[in-house]
Amino acid sequence: MTGIELALAGFALMLLAIFARVPIAVAMALTGFIGVWIVRGSPTAPLAQMKTLTFDTFSSYSLSIVPLFLLMGQFATKSGMSSALFKAAQDWLGHRKGGVAMAAVGACAGFGAVCGSSLATASTMGQVALPEMRKRGYSDSLSTGVLAAGGTLGILIPPSIILVIYAILAEQNIVKMFVAALLPGLLAALGYMLTVAIYVRVRPGAGNVAERVPYADRARSFISTFPVIFIFVIVMYGIAGDWDWSNPGPDALFTPTEGAAVGAVLTMIYGLYTRELDWQGIKDAILATAQATAMIFFIVFGAALFNSFLAITQAPQSLAEWVSTQGFGPYTVLMAMLLAYLVFGCVMDSLSMILLTIPIFFPIISVLDFGMTPEETAIWFGILALIVVEVGLITPPVGMNLFIINSMAKDIPMVRTYAGVTPFVASDLVRVVILVSFPAITLWLVGVMFPG
Amino acid sequence: MQIAVKAQERAGAGAAALARLLAYLGGAILVGLALMTVVSIVGRWINTGWVRSIAGDYELVEAGVGIAVFAFLPWCQLNRGHVTVDIFTNGLPARGRAFTALVGDILIAILAYVIMWRFYLGFGEKFPFFSDAWRDRLSMGFKPFFPETTYELEIPVWIPYGLALIGAVAFFLVALYTVWRSWNRFARGEAQ
Repeated sequence: MTGIELALAGFALMLLAIFARVPIAVAMALTGFIGVWIVRGSPTAPLAQMKTLTFDTFSSYSLSIVPLFLLMGQFATKSGMSSALFKAAQDWLGHRKGGVAMAAVGACAGFGAVCGSSLATASTMGQVALPEMRKRGYSDSLSTGVLAAGGTLGILIPPSIILVIYAILAEQNIVKMFVAALLPGLLAALGYMLTVAIYVRVRPGAGNVAERVPYADRARSFISTFPVIFIFVIVMYGIAGDWDWSNPGPDALFTPTEGAAVGAVLTMIYGLYTRELDWQGIKDAILATAQATAMIFFIVFGAALFNSFLAITQAPQSLAEWVSTQGFGPYTVLMAMLLAYLVFGCVMDSLSMILLTIPIFFPIISVLDFGMTPEETAIWFGILALIVVEVGLITPPVGMNLFIINSMAKDIPMVRTYAGVTPFVASDLVRVVILVSFPAITLWLVGVMFPG
Repeated sequence: MQIAVKAQERAGAGAAALARLLAYLGGAILVGLALMTVVSIVGRWINTGWVRSIAGDYELVEAGVGIAVFAFLPWCQLNRGHVTVDIFTNGLPARGRAFTALVGDILIAILAYVIMWRFYLGFGEKFPFFSDAWRDRLSMGFKPFFPETTYELEIPVWIPYGLALIGAVAFFLVALYTVWRSWNRFARGEAQ
């Protein structure tokens, strides 16, 4: 068998195993291990690699950002930030038609700025915003749909765990990826608010109007969100800003990992100061961080074995060469990839998808000519991939965000949640088209912050 | 046929206690690393007199996170936290789903064993002590000529490896327990 046939057979068998409910990390690790064994003719090489591969993977400095951001997000969920954000957003937006749902989007965006995970954002904001919307007579569909969609802002707005993994796989600068994600993330929040506005006009019974809040109260509730804004600005500006004006070029205050550590400590201090974060909360935050960290690193380890198999078959390079000699239009290939993400997103989680596909897709994208520098193409493609894999979190049948929100309101049938989220999926797709057509939205801020 | 249900429940309590303890310890390491990093940044920023950044802070983060991740693995496995795609097996009857869960746990236990076994050998290559006779008995391989250390602080690498090995052993033990638990659930026809 040639390398590419072997890689294809391995990929197919691995997918079969995954669909038969074998844990994804195990399916990747075993396929990679057996694949290298077959190519090399003996298990010596993969066995020798395994002596240090686990510890080397788990103790990589670029990956150490992941558990620290998870810890920050967990402290944030347990420190009352969500209710402060929602209160402020509601004071400012509640008097509009469908305003409380818009406020939920705004609060999700704010929370996403300190939390890198969609599920944590959806569940935390759901606990605060769902009872409020139901109390005010918002329809079941709108109130669950908007929260499931809003939850994805957790990962679309930096910090974002998926972007960290993408940056490592594609060997890109994580700071530039975060900066690039900022405007598309804000665009996502605006798009969702606009969707709510259209929704309540098409279905007038779905949402209603709350009483207008005086500006003095609005100012007060806005000030109460300052700690969240402060933490976000310190973390983002600390890793991306220029702190030394005497030197040319950006001079950041700390590395992304250090930024995550600063964020975790500041969030913990905030929680302790407001007395929302007690001893039990710290223990729960640690256990939740432990579970999510182990899950992510185990998949990364499996993917490392699988990718060493792919690398020795040289299938990614052959595939990339094949695609470039076929003369497909670059945008046709890009669209095919984004569609593949949407289809796979219906059954798979976003992290596994990124780990499985980027080693194959990225070499192909790199050889195509989009009229940008290689780095710009990589950043732009990463943001597009991030958005389409996140759509998978809100598309049936396996949208994790839908399950999380629906489990908070057991009396709402799942089909209503499906119906409610559909307009937001449409808004996601419109945004993908906009970002594909105008790469400048993604790349402009990177160019401003990192000139040259 | 179920195997020793009472003993399985007792073992389960033990596995949970072990996994939780390790998760807390790993979490304590993580919080400690975050605090140390903040202190180090402040020190680097002021950078006068005795207020400086902490030497080797990156190394400590790397080693600490490596140890913490190993310590987190048992807790994740005990809670069935590893990601699976359930959509195509959801249509199976309860016993069928219990069977897929059992297969998954067996495969994880095998992988956990390979990880532990290979990592132990990796540890042996860094561990510069014991006579050759003892190393043979413990199948630790050849004694390294010099103990490998980290770059800046010159910490012998066998120390973080050894601490992480505790997590790897616990991961294997907990994975074995989950196979037992899955078998009994399968025998009862209880989906998981």
